[in-house]
Order: sequence, then structure tokens, then C-alpha cells
Amino acid sequence: MNKPTLGEIRPCLEGLIPAVIATAAADGTPNVAYISQVCFVDEDHVALSFQFFNKTRANILANPHASLLVLHPQTAQFFRLHIRYLRTETQGPLFESMKAQLAGIASHTGMANVFMLRGSDVYAVQEIEALEGSPLPAPPPRCGMLNTVRRCSERLSRCTSLDEVLNATLATLTDFMGVQHAMLLMLDPVNQRLYTVASCGYATSGVGSEIAVGHGVIGVAARERTPVRIQHMTTAYLYSSAIRSSLQANTPDLALDVDIPYPGLREPHSQLAVPIVSAARVLGVVFVESPHDMQFGFEDEDMLVAIAGHLGAAIDLMQSASEPQETVAAEPSAPPALGSALQVRHYRANDSIFIGDDYLIKGVAGAIFWKLVRNYTEQGRTAFSNRELRLDPDLGLPDVTDNLEARLLLLQRRLKEHGPLVRIEKTGRGRFQLMVQRPLELQEAS
Amino acid sequence: MSAPPAPVLSADLIAMVQRGVSTIVSSCDAALRPSMMRAMGSSITDDGRFATVYLSRKQSRQLLQDIAASGRVAVVFTHPASNRALQLKSLQARTRNTDATDQAVLARYLVAMETEIAEVGFPPVLTRAMLAHDIADVVAVEFEPAEAFDQTPGPKAGAPLDAVRAGDGT
Repeated sequence: MNKPTLGEIRPCLEGLIPAVIATAAADGTPNVAYISQVCFVDEDHVALSFQFFNKTRANILANPHASLLVLHPQTAQFFRLHIRYLRTETQGPLFESMKAQLAGIASHTGMANVFMLRGSDVYAVQEIEALEGSPLPAPPPRCGMLNTVRRCSERLSRCTSLDEVLNATLATLTDFMGVQHAMLLMLDPVNQRLYTVASCGYATSGVGSEIAVGHGVIGVAARERTPVRIQHMTTAYLYSSAIRSSLQANTPDLALDVDIPYPGLREPHSQLAVPIVSAARVLGVVFVESPHDMQFGFEDEDMLVAIAGHLGAAIDLMQSASEPQETVAAEPSAPPALGSALQVRHYRANDSIFIGDDYLIKGVAGAIFWKLVRNYTEQGRTAFSNRELRLDPDLGLPDVTDNLEARLLLLQRRLKEHGPLVRIEKTGRGRFQLMVQRPLELQEAS
Repeated sequence: MSAPPAPVLSADLIAMVQRGVSTIVSSCDAALRPSMMRAMGSSITDDGRFATVYLSRKQSRQLLQDIAASGRVAVVFTHPASNRALQLKSLQARTRNTDATDQAVLARYLVAMETEIAEVGFPPVLTRAMLAHDIADVVAVEFEPAEAFDQTPGPKAGAPLDAVRAGDGT
């Protein structure tokens, strides 16, 4: 009999058709139960959702042998897995990704109020039987995925700045993966928050919006360093509203709304968040979503993880590339700022910046901007280097992994969205220029 | 210990099984290794005291061996759209060959399942492939339910349905 591998039957483990588990009590009494979720762990292991203290639970603790029946959702071929219970995980990447996924399955099956993940039961797969039957022809294998990864790799290897790296990634997702809504977020390791640096497919870019690590699919992917994939609308977990409310949780003691709205879909039906990891550090998260169910399968997850790996290496390279050691000497000629003054206000409490009445940015990027405009108004300087920002103790950049490039890019993009009057432009590796079209009037607020 | 009374199934649960719903059959060998397969069809008498499930021999070799050896069987009947489910167990299941009457039962069952599985979003062609069989390969497994359990997903899953036996626990 044909013995498929677990990898070959992954389409059966997507939760489209519920799996069934048979167990036996110590006295030999069999028991059958439906399982909400069967998760591919690796070629030799599956994890099953543990939701209730029921007969299945009692049986596997007394007798670890179990049998699992799954159906291929396109061919209707049955596969029977002989499995052996090993352990239950109640935290960590496997548990968290299953918890998020279960929320989606639960709402899809109308069982949202009774579904809660108590643990991920990990089983060794001892044998897989492909059962005889009259299966339908298998759909042709999906093509072009490796090519997509290749295109992304090629595009990334041509990039010479972080800006280009982020654009190349988003372009690959939209051009080759059919993604219509995506966000790239970078981790602020000090505050444990993720800030959006690029997005596509939303009414507003949301650049600068923040999500706390651990919140929503994006925050969980970053905290647990694991992809989180949801195939159905998730009313159970209220992931999107968790993100929205997490934006309000960190409001500073100012009676000012300094939150840039999270740009995500109001009613997502499919979501996939993949951590960007490089040199064992989480740098950020790639996030894609769709208003339709089942848009991202395990192959999309594989692809996005491969892309995120390239992206992580490219981001790291752009952040750490050598910068000129000398301070910037020649001032490029800047046209004089004319017209009525623009008021720039700085709130020391959280380094938030307002231009006129419009909120611009806060945190490290806000502190950087304040330093730039002070230098500009006090000394007339317009040319700056990354190096001098790194050396400035007032900015409080962490010694390692300061993400300075990402923060400058965030600032640059926020300024661009604000309007043409104040901009920063890169002028070379590790150098940039402040471009001001109106006189600035600085105001320190408390 | 005297034999426990047979469980009493409610009329609506009997009706649910009679309509034709997803049916999964399980048993276990002497080494406590479970065996399992989806049935090609199922039926229950109006009083709920006699059930028949149909298995494909070539898909269920171990399961049929285990039933023959021990008489033990556990069967879950599930209505796909509502997740409502019933589990029946017996220690005295036995097998027999199928005949023309069974063929009619299987044909009705298939029609019912095509509709029910379409309700949860899968085309009849998938259901037909899933339940495709050669009648010569199908064996009937008959049993009188000795125990019955509410198997609808949730905290009450596994609760015995028969009030007389409720104190025994599951």
C-alpha cells in the first residue's frame, strides 16, 4: 500500500474538513471524536487542539495510541494516521499559532463561544495509510511559488537602501502573490512595540501606527517568533479590535490624540503574519490580509517565511552597512525658506511632534526630528549624517540594533504624507538632508 | 453486576440518524490500538435500539478484525451543519454480508449526505467520491447500543444521554 509522507498530505491538515480521532480507554472501550484542528508540526509530528476535558483526553493520558482519519478536501481520498501522544504544550509558538487559528475555525463553524484552546497535544506520526477508494483527480500542483521567491530575492539583492528594500518586498507580494493588503512593521525592542513602516492596499498608509508585541496576529507572531495564519473571519478572538484597542493602551499623559490609525481591514477574513528574523533577532513582521476566506494556505505561509528571511537579511545589511566616519562638511545649497512661519511643537514627555495642528510622529523618530529642526533654526544646518545621530546621547538610541535607518525612513514617510513643506531626503549612504520651504517656529511644550 | 439498561434515545436524535448523517466507526485491538473508518452509510430502527453501519472491507480491514475479535464498537453520528452529534457504543457488534435492502439504504444515505455536506460548502461530487463503493466490498455491522453519549462539541461532549446511567460516569 502507498505510504504517503505527512508533507504530502498537508492539504488535509488545513481544517477545511474536520478530522476524526479514535482513542481507547484502558479497558479497551473505543471512543470517536471530531478534532477542530490538526496542525502540521514537522514530517514526523502533528499537534491536535485540546479544548475540553473529555473522553478523548482521559483516554490519551491513559493510553497514548490513537488513530486519526483525514480527508483530502479536493480529491476526497481518505488518509489514516496512526499516532502516539507525546505531550501537551500550553504556551510558545505552536500553542499560540494554533490558538489564533482556532479562533478563526471556531467562528467559521459557529462554535466561537465554546472553543478555547487549553493546549496543543503533540503526537508522533507512526504510520500514514492512503486508503483505497475512488478519489477525484488531484488539482494540478501550484506553480510559480519558487519563482516568486526568486523574483523577490533578485529584487532585494538590487536594493541599496531600506526604502527600496521595503518597496521591493511589497511589490513582490502584490505582483506575484496576489496580495492586495499588506503591511511591514519594524520592532522597537526597547518599548516592545511594532511600528508600521510601509503598507499597500489601504485607504491610509498607517505608516507610524503601532501595535504592542503580543497583541493581535501581528504582535503574537513577533512575540512567539512564529507565523500566525487565520483562514476565516475571527470574531472569537477579536484580533483586529485587539489591535485597535492596543493602540489606545499606551496613550501618553497628554490630552492629545497622537495615534496614527491602524490601517488594517475592518473585517478581515484571512490573515497571515510572519516574523522577520535575522541573526536570531526579531526585526519586525510581514503581514498580509484579505477580505475573503481561505486566501492564505500553507504554501503561502512557506513562501512568505522564505521571503521574510531574505527581507530580514536585507534589512540588517542596510542598517549595518558602513557609514562615512567624518562629519558632514559641505552644506549643499538649500533654497531659502520663505513665507509665513510653520509652527513646530515638541512635547518632551513622549517626544511627540506637531506641525501646526497636525500630529507628525513621536518617540525616537520625534526626538530625531526635533534635533534636526533645532540644528536648522539655530545653525542653519541642512545636511546630517546617521553617525552623528548615533553619537547623540540625547536621542537615547540603544547601542545595538538602533533601527536608525527604519526610524529615519518612518520620519521621511510621515513627512511626505504631511505635505511638501518639510522633507528629508537621502543624499548618500548614511547621509541625508533636511529640506524646508517655510521658516520654522519652534515651540517646546510640556 | 447486572447488565445495564439500554439507553433511551430521544425521538429527534433517532430522526437525525435516520435522515442520514456523517457516521464514523471505531474499535480497538487487544494491544489497545484504536481502529477507525468512516461508514458508507448507517441506519437505526425507530425505537433507537438497533443500529446498522456499513463499512468498506478494503478500507476497514483492521477495524473489521477488531470488531470480530472483541465485539466492541463506538460510532459517532454527526449532523455536519449543526455539529450536533451522538455517540453509541456496544460490546456485542457483529458483521454480516449486505443484500439488496442494504443497497437501498446506502443509496438513500448518499442522497441525504450530498445535501448535508453541500450545506457546509462542499459539492456533491466530493461526497460521491468520499462515499463511492462497490456493494460487494461493503459489510454491515449491527449492534444494539449499550451506551449513548451527547457528542456535540462543547463542555458537555461525552455526557451520557441515558438518565438511568448518568450516575455511572463516562
